[in-house]
Amino acid sequence: MITIQTLEFCYPNGEFKLNIPDFQVSGGEKVAVIGPSGSGKTTLLNLIAGIMTPQNGTVSVDDAQVSTLGDLERRDFRITNIGFVFQDFELLDYLNVFDNVLHPYRITGALKLDKAVRDRAESLTQDMGIGDKLKRKPNDLSHGEKQRVAICRALLPQPRLILADEATGNLDPDNKILILDLLFKAVSDYNATLVAVTHDHELLKHFDQIVNFQEFKNKAAV
Amino acid sequence: MQVRWFSICDRNRCFFSIFCVVFTVALLASASWAGSNDSGKLTVYVVNYPLQYFAERIGGEHVKVVFPAPADVDPAYWMPDVKTISDYQQADLILLNGAGYARWINKATLPRFRMVNTSAGFKGQYIEAPEILTHSHGSEGEHVHESLAFTTWIDFNLAVRQAEAIAEALGRKRPELKDAFQKNYQKLKQDLLKLDQDLKTLVSKDPSRPLVVSHPVYDYFARRYGLDIKSVHWEPDEIPTNEQMMELNRIMKEHPAKWMIWERKPMKESTERLQAIGTDSLVFHPCANTPDKGDFLSVMRQNIKNLNPAFKNDF
Amino acid sequence: MIDSLNIAWKYIRFNKVKTATLVACITLISFLPMALELLLNESEKQLMSRAVSTPLVIGAKGSALDLVMNTLYFDDEVPELITMESANRVMDSKLAQPIPLYVRFQARRNPIVGTTLDYFDFRNLRIAEGRQLAILGDCVLGARVAESLGLKPGDSLVSSPETLFDLAGVYPLKMKVVGVLTKSHTSDDLSVFVDLKTAWVIQGLGHGHVDVTKLQDPTLVLKRTGKNVAATAKLYQHTEITEKNIDAFHFHGDLSHYPLTAVLAVPRDDKSGTILRGRYLKREQTRQVVRPADVIDGLLQNIFRIKNVLDAVISVVALATILAIILVFALSLRLRQREIQTIFKLGCRRATIVRLLAAEIFIIAIMSAVFCGALIWMVNQFSNDLVRMLFIR
Repeated sequence: MITIQTLEFCYPNGEFKLNIPDFQVSGGEKVAVIGPSGSGKTTLLNLIAGIMTPQNGTVSVDDAQVSTLGDLERRDFRITNIGFVFQDFELLDYLNVFDNVLHPYRITGALKLDKAVRDRAESLTQDMGIGDKLKRKPNDLSHGEKQRVAICRALLPQPRLILADEATGNLDPDNKILILDLLFKAVSDYNATLVAVTHDHELLKHFDQIVNFQEFKNKAAV
Repeated sequence: MQVRWFSICDRNRCFFSIFCVVFTVALLASASWAGSNDSGKLTVYVVNYPLQYFAERIGGEHVKVVFPAPADVDPAYWMPDVKTISDYQQADLILLNGAGYARWINKATLPRFRMVNTSAGFKGQYIEAPEILTHSHGSEGEHVHESLAFTTWIDFNLAVRQAEAIAEALGRKRPELKDAFQKNYQKLKQDLLKLDQDLKTLVSKDPSRPLVVSHPVYDYFARRYGLDIKSVHWEPDEIPTNEQMMELNRIMKEHPAKWMIWERKPMKESTERLQAIGTDSLVFHPCANTPDKGDFLSVMRQNIKNLNPAFKNDF
Repeated sequence: MIDSLNIAWKYIRFNKVKTATLVACITLISFLPMALELLLNESEKQLMSRAVSTPLVIGAKGSALDLVMNTLYFDDEVPELITMESANRVMDSKLAQPIPLYVRFQARRNPIVGTTLDYFDFRNLRIAEGRQLAILGDCVLGARVAESLGLKPGDSLVSSPETLFDLAGVYPLKMKVVGVLTKSHTSDDLSVFVDLKTAWVIQGLGHGHVDVTKLQDPTLVLKRTGKNVAATAKLYQHTEITEKNIDAFHFHGDLSHYPLTAVLAVPRDDKSGTILRGRYLKREQTRQVVRPADVIDGLLQNIFRIKNVLDAVISVVALATILAIILVFALSLRLRQREIQTIFKLGCRRATIVRLLAAEIFIIAIMSAVFCGALIWMVNQFSNDLVRMLFIR
């Protein structure tokens, strides 16, 4: 699913350098990315999603060499193939739950919003246990409910790759398990791949592969 | 086919002809209406009978003169109702006597542009009537200016000037008829001047003859013809009271009049009481309102005839 | 585009206060110069049309503007008075037709215009209800006066005293409403019309009372001579003219000395008008004759000079407002940086982000335009009254 080859990335100010050796993620795999803060975990997700481009090396997602695509192509690829779940949910306060879930379809021409999509959104929110809160605004929801909305938004386009950046970071233990379960269910339902950045070592046992950024750093230092 | 074409053409021609006729008729009708509007009779409202007579003599067939005061009222003191005032407002011309005649004028709203004061030309010759008791307010207040004598038309020279003013006013309204109006005015002028001359001739026989008049309405008459008159306030249809007789006697002491001039025929008892003190009666009708018979000229001629005995003249 | 507008609309609805403030600022800054322009154009139209339709005005020497404003628009400022003699002179000259005016008194804050019937023909005023003036004490109401006071023919209207405490001054006359005029959309709609003589009665120059010459009460008679009876101030004077007492009404003194505020002169032709004006240019004359169009033109030029200053001020304010609005948008963008980052991360194109922001600006602009349009429409509907309130009375 994901193939990374000798990735080198450096921010414009030159203060941070990231060197990632070759590694692969298979389709349907659940990968946890761990490491100390500031080690580049989120940067890795951004590189995989095509939000940033490396100075050297390549990132491929399925057949698409994301790192070499143009900006517009990367955006279109991202919105149709990748579902993003953020630590701080990143919902739009001024849209209700249903509109937040449908939001990706409204901000790109690459996804077509039709009745089937709306029906699927309703079904998805029902499955996520927020089907009765569609008219509410995010400020009226609990953290767990907000994250479920974010997950619905990420899953609605039926992405092949789900990137979760500390998706359980702001949740209580019960909700953490719940969210993780929902993500894993989505992986199996959509036959998707999950790459999740997490600080929660208790959850690691649920993943297929663990990528430790400390090792990358050590390898890079060598 | 040819026949059908012909009938269609014929129908169109027919419509066109009808249209032409209708159009022409409409054009002529509107022209005649416009024409008739411009050359239609002038509606002239007046405030007394002499003005009516003068206006009719001068205007002739070109005017419709209206004098709405009832025949049995004194037009000087008559108050028309709102409807009548409204009729005055619609008139082409409103002829006023001037000199404060027709008290109602100052209490009514009339179109100033269409009002003509027929005596404006000689307003410097108005006479203050000393017999009328006026009033004022406070020690410095002005008195009421209703003390003017207003029977200007029985000074036939002034009557001519009033007629002249009427002729001019009519001529301004209808410039195209100015000559006709002037011609008629000249004829009326001749008649009035004849009356003037006849009176002068009559009075010249005995100009200083003292006379008494029943009402103070002969001021202009007296001034013009140099009559020596004193006035009382007697009504023709009332017998003089003892107080009135005493007042007359008081006047007679300084002013031994042998004749009293009445506006209308007095009661028999009144004349008898006068005869008892050696005073005869005669009628000089000012003719302010429409006479029962005759017209202004015939009434004035009769008035002059009535004056004859007073001047011992076989006129 | 629909989606962008939809999202923008939801954002705007969510941020009501900010949106309302922005819309209010933009509306006001757009509305002010347009409203000013509209009102000034309307005032020019109203003032000029009335002035142009009035050939000449004769009044006492002094402020031509005060004279014209009182004569044409029945302004509260009463100019120096002239006398009826001025009207008579114009009449006698045969150069013009005079229409005397006496605009001094009020009835429930509406000016009472004392004039003659010719005024109505001159201004093309027609009776909508009732009848025209006929006798002393009648009054005819302008359309708006009748509406605002709820009066119709048959009702009565009392003139207002000039001052409350001057017992010897002008005191109220109960007038009879006999007619209501059709709307003319001029100052005539807001006026009460009476015969000139009725205005003089209001002033006390004409009055009605019992026959003084027949008074018996010695406290009512000041002095009695053979020719005149002077009455005391105790004598009761009628405050209403009726059919029963109209005969008792009269005027003291010579009517040609009675007061007027102005005389409208309608020359027979241009030449007559020029001759008439020439007669009043002589130094010994205490009267002036003005062409209202010239006076109003001067007034409008002053108004437009002031308008230019106002325009400059409004432009500066508008610039400041626009800068403030730009600052608000910029700050708003900064605050929404995270949101923009999020949708960027989700895969939104830069053009779409721009479109979303543009949609918000577009909606705010449209709302401002709608409000501005509505306000302008309202100003337009009431421009007649506003102009009268602001510039005339």
